[in-house]
Amino acid sequence: MTIIGLIFDIQRFSIHDGPGIRTTVFLKGCTLRCFWCHNPEGLRMTAEVQFLPNRCLACGACVAACEHDGQHLDATGRSFTRARCVACGACVEACVAEALTLAGRRMTAREVVAEVLRDRVFYETSGGGVTLSGGEPALQPDFAREILALAKVEGLHTAIETCGNVAWPGLEALLPFTDLVMMDLKQMDTGKHRAATGAGNERILANARQLAQTRKPLIFRTPVVPGVNDTAAEIEAIAAFVAELVALRAIASNGNGPADISWELLPFHRLADDKYRSLGLEYRARDLNPPPKDHMLVLAESARASGVAVRAN
Amino acid sequence: MPTPFTPEARYEALRATKMAHTAEKWQVIGAMNHDDWGLILPPPDRREVVQALSGSGVLINDVRLTEIPIEPNHPSGGFFGAIAVGRAFRTLLERHPVYLDPAASLAGAIMVNFMSYRKPHWNPDLDFSHLHADQKKYQIGSGIGATQHFCPDLAIGLELGWSGLLKKIAYYREVNAPRGAAFYAGLTDVILGMQDWIGRHAAAAQQMAAAEPHPDVRRNLAQIAELNARLVNEPPRTFREACQWMLWYLIAARMYNGSGATGRLDVLLQPYYARDTAAGVLTDDEAAFHIACLLLRETGYVQLGGPDAAGADVTNPVSYLILEAAHRIKIPANVGVCVGDTTDPSLLRRGVEIMFEDRLGVPKFLGVDRTVEGFARNGYPLELSRQRAYSGCHWLALPGIEYTMNDLVKINLAAVFEVALAEMLAAEVEPGMADLWSRFTAHLRRAVAVTAAGIDFHLAHMGEVFPELLLDLLCHGTIERGLDATAGGVDYYNLCVDASALATVADSFGACAHWIEREHRLTWAQLKEHLASDWAGETGERARLLMKRGPRFGHGGTVADEYAVRIAQVFTDLVKEQPTPAGYNMIPGLFSWASMIAMGKEIGATPNGRHAGDPISHGPNPDPGFRKDGAPTALAVAVAAVQPGYGNTGPLQMDMDPGLGRDADSIAKVAALIRSHFALGGTQINLNVLDKAQILEAHKDPSKYPDLVVRVTGFSAYFASLAPEFRQLVVDRIVAEG
Repeated sequence: MTIIGLIFDIQRFSIHDGPGIRTTVFLKGCTLRCFWCHNPEGLRMTAEVQFLPNRCLACGACVAACEHDGQHLDATGRSFTRARCVACGACVEACVAEALTLAGRRMTAREVVAEVLRDRVFYETSGGGVTLSGGEPALQPDFAREILALAKVEGLHTAIETCGNVAWPGLEALLPFTDLVMMDLKQMDTGKHRAATGAGNERILANARQLAQTRKPLIFRTPVVPGVNDTAAEIEAIAAFVAELVALRAIASNGNGPADISWELLPFHRLADDKYRSLGLEYRARDLNPPPKDHMLVLAESARASGVAVRAN
Repeated sequence: MPTPFTPEARYEALRATKMAHTAEKWQVIGAMNHDDWGLILPPPDRREVVQALSGSGVLINDVRLTEIPIEPNHPSGGFFGAIAVGRAFRTLLERHPVYLDPAASLAGAIMVNFMSYRKPHWNPDLDFSHLHADQKKYQIGSGIGATQHFCPDLAIGLELGWSGLLKKIAYYREVNAPRGAAFYAGLTDVILGMQDWIGRHAAAAQQMAAAEPHPDVRRNLAQIAELNARLVNEPPRTFREACQWMLWYLIAARMYNGSGATGRLDVLLQPYYARDTAAGVLTDDEAAFHIACLLLRETGYVQLGGPDAAGADVTNPVSYLILEAAHRIKIPANVGVCVGDTTDPSLLRRGVEIMFEDRLGVPKFLGVDRTVEGFARNGYPLELSRQRAYSGCHWLALPGIEYTMNDLVKINLAAVFEVALAEMLAAEVEPGMADLWSRFTAHLRRAVAVTAAGIDFHLAHMGEVFPELLLDLLCHGTIERGLDATAGGVDYYNLCVDASALATVADSFGACAHWIEREHRLTWAQLKEHLASDWAGETGERARLLMKRGPRFGHGGTVADEYAVRIAQVFTDLVKEQPTPAGYNMIPGLFSWASMIAMGKEIGATPNGRHAGDPISHGPNPDPGFRKDGAPTALAVAVAAVQPGYGNTGPLQMDMDPGLGRDADSIAKVAALIRSHFALGGTQINLNVLDKAQILEAHKDPSKYPDLVVRVTGFSAYFASLAPEFRQLVVDRIVAEG
C-alpha cells in the first residue's frame, strides 16, 4: 500500500538543498506565511490554478471546459474567478498556451522515488541525494515518511528542510529515515516572528531543542531579510540560541559523538512577483533589496563573536 | 609594442592585437558563423572579398590575397590533381606576406583560405548525378569533395624537419617510380613553398631586429630569426622550436584546406619540456607563453591527458601548462580535457575552474573511457583504441594512420521523417504510429545506403581532385606508398556518419503518439492540413501550441524520450549493419555542427510544433524548453541515453550560470555532473558559462561585449561575430533554461 500526497515540484540538480547534487521534492502546504517566501505555490494545502495572463491567447477553450463558471472571456477581456475554482484542472487541460497551470500534483510515494532515482548516478558521484522541502514536508508526515523510507531502501542520502512549526510527533516520525535535518531560525522574538511569518516561534524553538537532543546532523539556516532580522542584535540573539542548542547536544550525548550542528546565514533574494500574481497573492517583499555582501559579512562576524561557527553565503 | 616587455604586458598586447584583427574582420567580412581560425586579414592593398566554400563545406564570405597567379588545368576554370594543386599552393606560399608580431615569441600567421581560390571545388567530369535525387530527398550531406577532418601525426614532422621530409619523399619516389610521380611532385612543391615562406620570415625578423632600439624586443626578434633560419631545413631541438615548427605546419594545413587537427599536444611537447627544463633553459612561464603564442595563431583541437596505448595516464606538467596558456591568453581555444577512470582528476578540476573564471567555453570535456571502449567495438584492440586523439569539433582520429571524414557526412533525420510521414498520409491506409515507424526505418535504411555510396565515390576520386597534400606529409604510409590518404595511403578507414535533428524527430513522434493516438485531441487529417499550411490561422496556432506542449525528449520518462532512444538505436544499427559497398567501415555519431539553421531551412513544418524553415535541433541535445527547470541532470541523462557507442561522439551542449562556479564546493558539483554524464555513457561535453542577462544585452547590441566568447557547438566564436539568427540559437537555449 502506498501513500498519496500532494507535491508542487520535483527539482533535479538542486545544489543548495544539502550536500552534493540532489533532487528536491517540494510538498504542498505550510503552517507559516513568511512574506518573502520563494515558493508561494507551496503555501496552501490544496491544489490551485495559476493564471498567467500574458500567455493567454483568448481562445476561450478554458471557458468552454470550466463547469464552475470560473473562467470568462468577453469584450472586456479575460478573467479568472478564483473564488469559484475547485481546482479540477479541466481548464488547465484545455489550455494549449500553458497560461493556466495547476500547482499541486497528486503522486504516490513510490512514484516520487522513481522520479528521484533517475539521477542516482549524480548522487553517487557527488555525495548527494534527495531532499524533502516545500511548503512544509512534515505536514504530510505519512507521505513524507514513506518517501524517505523508500529512498533509504535504495541507499540514498536523505535530507529534510523544515520550518519547524509543526507538532513534534510529525517531525519525529521522519527522523529514523532522515540523514540530515535543515531548519530555519528566523527570529528570537515571538512577536516579531509572528509579524513576519504569521505565527509565533515557541513551537519552532521547542522543536529545535528536541532536535538538538538527538544525534541527527543539523543545519540551522537564517534567511537574512531586511527589516526582519538583518541587524547585529537580531543575529546575536539567534547565535546565543544556537550556542544553547550545541550545549544541549553535548549534554545529551554525554560529550560523546559529533557535534554536527552548523548554522548558515542566507541573504534574501527578491523574486519576480509573477508567481504571486498567478496565484492571486500579493508579494509584500517586492520592494525589498537584498542585503549587500559586506553587510552579510558584518552579520557573520557578529554571529561568530558569540562563539558559534557560522557560514554566510 | 609593449613596454616594459614583460610577460603580462606581452599577453595584453597580443590580446589587444587579436581584438583589433577580429574587429577588422567583422568590418570587412561581416558575420562569421564558424570557428575563429586565427586568420588575420591581408594588407589593405592586397585584399579582395569573395564568396567561397569553406574547408567545412559551407558557403562563407572570405577575403583573398590578390596577385596569386594560379593556372587552371580544366575547362571549368578549376585546378585539380596533385601537380596543379601542389604548384598552386606553392605559389600562394611564396606570395604570402610575412607576419611578425614582436610581442609574440613565434613567427607567422595566415591571411587566406586556399579553398577560396578553388572554383569549382569538384571536378564536374566526375559525375555523381545518379545519387542526387536521393541525396536531396533525405537532405544528405554526402561529404563528396570535402576536405581534411582527420589527424596528422605531428611526431613525424618534429623528428624529420622539412628537409628530412624532402629526403623521405625523394627516397620513396625512387622506390615507387614511375608510379606516384604526380603525387610526389605535389608534396615536394608544398615543402619548397613552406621553406620559402619560413625563410622569408627569418630574414624579415633579422631585419626588424637590426632596426629595433629596445634591447628585449631586439633579442626576441633575433631569436625568432635564428630559430626560423634553422627550421627551414632542420627538425626542432628546443621547446620553443617545437612550438614554432608545429605552428608552421598547422597554419599551413589550415590555410590549405581548413585543417585544425592538433591532437595530443601535451604528449608531443613533453620530451622537449623535460629536456629544456632539466637543462635550465626553460621556465614554466616561458613554456606557457610559447604555447599561448601557438594557440593564438592556431585554434586547432587539442586533447589533454587520457590513456596511452597501455592504459597509463599521459597527463604531465605540459598538460597543465596548456590549460594555463589558454587561461592567460583568453581567446577562443579548442582544448579538450580527458575525464576518465585513470586520468588525473586534478586536470578536470582545473579545467572546470578555468571554465568558470574565464567564461570562454574553454576547455571541453572528453569522455575518454567511453570513446575508447566504443571504438574497440568496431573490432579494434584497446591498445589501438587508446591512441585515438581528440582533434576536431566533436571527433577523434588515430594520428597519421586513419582517414575518417569526421563531421563531413550528415543525414538529416527530419528529412527522412518528413518523407515517411508524407508517404503515410498520402497512402490509402489508416495512419498509425506503428506504420509511421516502419516507414521511417525503411527510408532511413535507404538514406544510409545512399550515404555509403557517396562515401565510396568520394574515396574513389578525391585524390585526383584535391589530394590532402599537407596532412599526407605527416601520415604513415602516404609517402611510403605514393598514395593520398583518401586513396589508400593510410591503414585505417573509418568514416564518420552523423545523424542530425534527433530531438526534432523524437518530439514529433512523441507529439503524434500522445495527442493523436492516445488523447485524440487531433486527427491525422488535421495534422496533415496544419503541416501543409505551416500552422496557419488561429486553429493552426492552437494546434501547434498543443503539439509543442506534448511529451519532450529530455524530460525523462516520456514517450518522446523512448522514441529518441529508439531512433538513435536504429540509426546506429543501420550504419553498423554493413560496410559501404567498397568495404569501408562507417561509424555513427550524433551531430549537426553549426548547420541547425541551414538544415532547418529545407524542412517543412514538423509535428513537434516547429514552423517550416525553422532551425532543427542541436546535435543530440533535447530542444530548449524540454523541462521547466531545464535541469542539467535531466539533460545529461537524456544525451547519455542516445549515444551510438562505437567511438564517435554525440556531444552534450550545456550552458551554465556563472553562479554555479562560485566556490570550491560548487566547482566540485559541476565536476561530479561531468563525471556522471560520462559514467552514464556520454562521450563529450561542450560547456558554456553564460550570464543570461549579459547574453540578452549582447544580443541586442553585440558591440557592447566585443570579447564575449561562446561555444556555439563544437567550436568557440566571438558572440558579436555571429549572424543574428545564430546568436538567437544561443539565446533560445539560455532563456529556455530559466
